[in-house]
Amino acid sequence: MIELNTVTKRYGSLTAVDIVSFTVTAGECFALLGPNGAGKTTIVKMLLDFTRPTAGSLSIRGIPTTDPACRASIGYLPENHHIPSSLSGWRYLLRCAELLDMSRSDAADQCGRIVKLIGMQGREHAPAGTYSKGMIQRFGLGAALVGDPKLLILDEPTSGLDPIGIRETRLLLESLKEQGMTIFLNSHLLSEVEKLCDTAAIINRGALLVKDAISAIVRDGDTLEDVFVRLVKG
Amino acid sequence: MPKTFPSVARIARHTLLDEVRQKSFIVMFAVCALCVFLVRGCYHGDYMVNGQHVDAGVIVRAVSKVTFHIIGAGVMVITALLSMRIFRRDRNDGTQSCVLSKPIARRQYVAGKIVGVWVVSLLFMFVLHGIVFLVTSLSLRDFMPEYLAASLLCSVNLLFVVVAVLLLSLLMPDIVAFLCVLGIGVVSFVVDGISAVSHSQMAQAMMRQSGAAPHSDLTWWKVVYYAWPKLLGIQQSATSLLGSDPFQGLGSLYPFINVLLYCLVLSAALFRRFGKEDIG
Repeated sequence: MIELNTVTKRYGSLTAVDIVSFTVTAGECFALLGPNGAGKTTIVKMLLDFTRPTAGSLSIRGIPTTDPACRASIGYLPENHHIPSSLSGWRYLLRCAELLDMSRSDAADQCGRIVKLIGMQGREHAPAGTYSKGMIQRFGLGAALVGDPKLLILDEPTSGLDPIGIRETRLLLESLKEQGMTIFLNSHLLSEVEKLCDTAAIINRGALLVKDAISAIVRDGDTLEDVFVRLVKG
Repeated sequence: MPKTFPSVARIARHTLLDEVRQKSFIVMFAVCALCVFLVRGCYHGDYMVNGQHVDAGVIVRAVSKVTFHIIGAGVMVITALLSMRIFRRDRNDGTQSCVLSKPIARRQYVAGKIVGVWVVSLLFMFVLHGIVFLVTSLSLRDFMPEYLAASLLCSVNLLFVVVAVLLLSLLMPDIVAFLCVLGIGVVSFVVDGISAVSHSQMAQAMMRQSGAAPHSDLTWWKVVYYAWPKLLGIQQSATSLLGSDPFQGLGSLYPFINVLLYCLVLSAALFRRFGKEDIG
């Protein structure tokens, strides 16, 4: 589903991503982990062609990420999600559906289902300016689900959510995973990642430290957090 | 993958709706419409030149023509103000990453933005010109549809402003981009204005009296003069439709060719520059 082939990204003298290669297979729930500034968001941006690699190549479903067609079945939630304050959550979801060429009736049907799925019934018509950060994040997740994507790319999906919201998001992602959706997750919440994901990669200062099944990364008696700290601190 | 044209049209429609939902836009439009409507007060005066009454029809036509130019120039400034924050606003409110995470190419997004802002500005100007048209038509009891056609011709200037400001806003702070395009417009109006005055009958007569011979050789400033965006030239050519200025053949077409060429070159540079931008 996703393939990174010796990808390097430099910003001047700073190497944000340093010769990283890995693959994520269809139906996999994958977590990209690393401390702040490790290069996680840069990899996500390169997957979406928001920025181009200095060297190497990326592809999704065999299509180079530079081709907009590769984004045909991707849902994306950015790290700091925003909704234009002049729109309501409902209008925002409809707008996302319109951009995917959906008819008005199909868009309304699907947005209705998504509003229920993200638990925002009754608030969907309020202006986005009145939403809390957690509510905006939920609508962001909803927007990522518009168009029934095959691949979800989520950059800190639980950012701004309270513990109940975090749990609900995990349960929602678990149900999507059971439906066969591929999930590419970027998160700092290691305990949630451990519960949800099948595989993980840990990067630090742009370099890939490990990429394996979580069960193989986490040894007996350890937690993902222990392994993460050990690897990152060297 | 969504087809090219519908994607551009949708992004343009979203841009248009986002603009007209802004309170500042509505207030600005209401103030401009009110000011233009108040121009009708000029139509009812008793004007005398050299002790002779001037025909009301002449006054109405002259005032409506001046108003036409003022609206054309004013809406260019408003268009520059609207365009300068388009990319920054989209970046800040997440619209850019939302749109470009869909199977939509960057060139479609940029084209949608250009069309959206251009159509908003065009409608803004067309409605203001429409008010003058109505007031003038009612005062003269004579409809002048060419007034509206002239307004549409002036929309080429707005396209230039949109593309220029969008491009410059990627290269420099928004306010500097606005001021640069404003400067280009001011120079165009001053230079074309001086040229128009120097070619007037009165100026020609004064030159003949003083014995000054007009220079016909090609100098560097003439090259700059002809190559500079002919924004006032377009407005002058458009007002030739109003009957008072004669249509001057290729001379009237040159400003359109000049500004359209600028639009093409700047658009190409804008698409190329935005293609290299980091999103998000």
